Amino acid sequence: MLEIKLAFKNLLGAGLRTWLNVIVLSIAFVIILFYNGMLDGWNEQARRDTCEWEIGSGEIRHPLFDPYDPYCYQDAHKAIDADLQKLINAGEITPILVTQASIYPQGRMQNIVLKGISPDQKLLKLPSDKLNGGDGDIKAIIGHRMANASNLKIGDRLMVRWRDVQGAFDAKEIVIADIFRSNVPAIDAAQIWVSIDVLQEICVMPNEATYFVVNDEYLKTHREALAPNGWKFASKELLLKDLNDVIKSKKASSGIMYGLLLAIALLAIFDTQVLSIFRRQKEIGTYIALGMTRFKVVRIFTFEGTAHSILAILLGSIYGTPVLSYFVRAGIPMPSSVDQTGLAISASIYPVFSLGLIVSSILLVVISAMIVSYIPTRKITKLNPTDAIKGKIL
Amino acid sequence: MENEIIVKLENLVKRFPVGKSHFTALRNISLEFKKGEFAGLVGPSGSGKTTLLNIIGSLDTPSEGIATVIGKRINDLSHKAAAHLRNYNIGFIFQTYNLLPVYNVFDNVEFALLLQKMTATERKKAVMEALEWVGLTDKAKSKPALLSGGECQRVAIARAMVKRPALVLADEPSANLDSVNSNHIVQTMKQLNRELNTTFIFSTHDEKVMRYLDRVIQLVDGEVASDELIKHED
Repeated sequence: MLEIKLAFKNLLGAGLRTWLNVIVLSIAFVIILFYNGMLDGWNEQARRDTCEWEIGSGEIRHPLFDPYDPYCYQDAHKAIDADLQKLINAGEITPILVTQASIYPQGRMQNIVLKGISPDQKLLKLPSDKLNGGDGDIKAIIGHRMANASNLKIGDRLMVRWRDVQGAFDAKEIVIADIFRSNVPAIDAAQIWVSIDVLQEICVMPNEATYFVVNDEYLKTHREALAPNGWKFASKELLLKDLNDVIKSKKASSGIMYGLLLAIALLAIFDTQVLSIFRRQKEIGTYIALGMTRFKVVRIFTFEGTAHSILAILLGSIYGTPVLSYFVRAGIPMPSSVDQTGLAISASIYPVFSLGLIVSSILLVVISAMIVSYIPTRKITKLNPTDAIKGKIL
Repeated sequence: MENEIIVKLENLVKRFPVGKSHFTALRNISLEFKKGEFAGLVGPSGSGKTTLLNIIGSLDTPSEGIATVIGKRINDLSHKAAAHLRNYNIGFIFQTYNLLPVYNVFDNVEFALLLQKMTATERKKAVMEALEWVGLTDKAKSKPALLSGGECQRVAIARAMVKRPALVLADEPSANLDSVNSNHIVQTMKQLNRELNTTFIFSTHDEKVMRYLDRVIQLVDGEVASDELIKHED
């Protein structure tokens, strides 16, 4: 306690030098919080949107289905049995049928994925109710990315060509019933959604599905056997792995940036410590003469260096709280080009500053400041007090 | 108790390494200091005065011989035990005052007590009493940078005396002071020596200080050349 009291007294007594170090370290602290908060906000938003729009609480997949391999779609489908039908009726799962197709916007051929979904499903946020009705037309919904890329708008008609289960080509005109906005490119880019009944009929795949999206209720009731016979289960964590990996790599790359800033701040503290010990030898000798052990003096100097980080956190909180609170409310606008990256990013990311993030950032700053403060003070243990009292150079 | 020996030095030798050889700063010093003495080590620069004070103050250890201070053998003391001895039993007064610049007068004097786990009230009482001894109660809130040399040395005396040590070691306390201030601070120390029966050992070559000493030990080239008691007329 005495050491902490003395450390703060000495530190505040040092004036401008202290405050310069504290300002630099506080900027590093706020930037660490900002970056991590932004990435956590993105992570949270992307996970939430991906679950709400694409994967629900997991997927029951045909064993041959691989969303990244369009060639597998031809064979990755099978009939929905009675047990699965019960779950569909209970609203615990919703079936999706997937097939390859081509469209011809402005006379150019474009390969797309044609997906069939129940117009009555409530499990995903997709506006599938827009697929109801049609007076003989095949109604389709597309995302805004697809609409922009193919220059399509609501009411447009376009020719779709597909192969049925026998491999025979067929084609028909569809009408765009709705264009939805979603942050999840995986349900949008180069995809057209139609009613699953229509897709089953035109592909001659009656009552068949490629995969099912499940909800939390399904997970609770089927905890023991998540994959029905002849299907495989893909958990939410597995389906979010790509997203998690992207966030991890973003955290690592932003870590380099704020790591450099933190290193500059810590270097300033290290430099101050070295200079302090060099300049304050008489004081160190006096401490020893007054009855302090060398280790106690080491502790004073270490606490002094560490106290920079405490003051930096306090200062950072003073100006960082309003700034970061503003971003929490207003969000951080993302450039329009992020839409093309294939990542689930909204137009604005709302940073999330969890208690864990704040505590871990504080610990990072305090512990690293403590380490760089301690390293130069070890010299004090080898100091001859009689030389120190006279201020002789170490 | 008047004849209680608080410092006993037996055949003390101190050598410092100089390159591959060594320099002998103290040679076969054997001395005893009794409680309440007002003694001075005098001699030219390099005669070993400060080295001897450092050993008595447990800031250094002898190369040979035995130094016993307030019942503790300096040779055998650990860092912690030596720090404890200094904290409770020995006060230091330095030529350059060695006040802590970021603390005010009160804090500087209080510092010695902070290590002794006294309550804040006890500390305040002791500090104000010590400042009263040296006539600086009105400067309690001043920083050392705002004080004159004489005032700084009086603060140093208060800091040395505040913990009521058995022994005070003063290394050239008047070297940076003019004659008025020199006389003043030595008179202050003499008064404290009489009132509190504290043993003072000086290192000095200042005639003004020597006038007040009860015992003068002359050191020449690390050896005791003479050791005489002085009878003052008052």
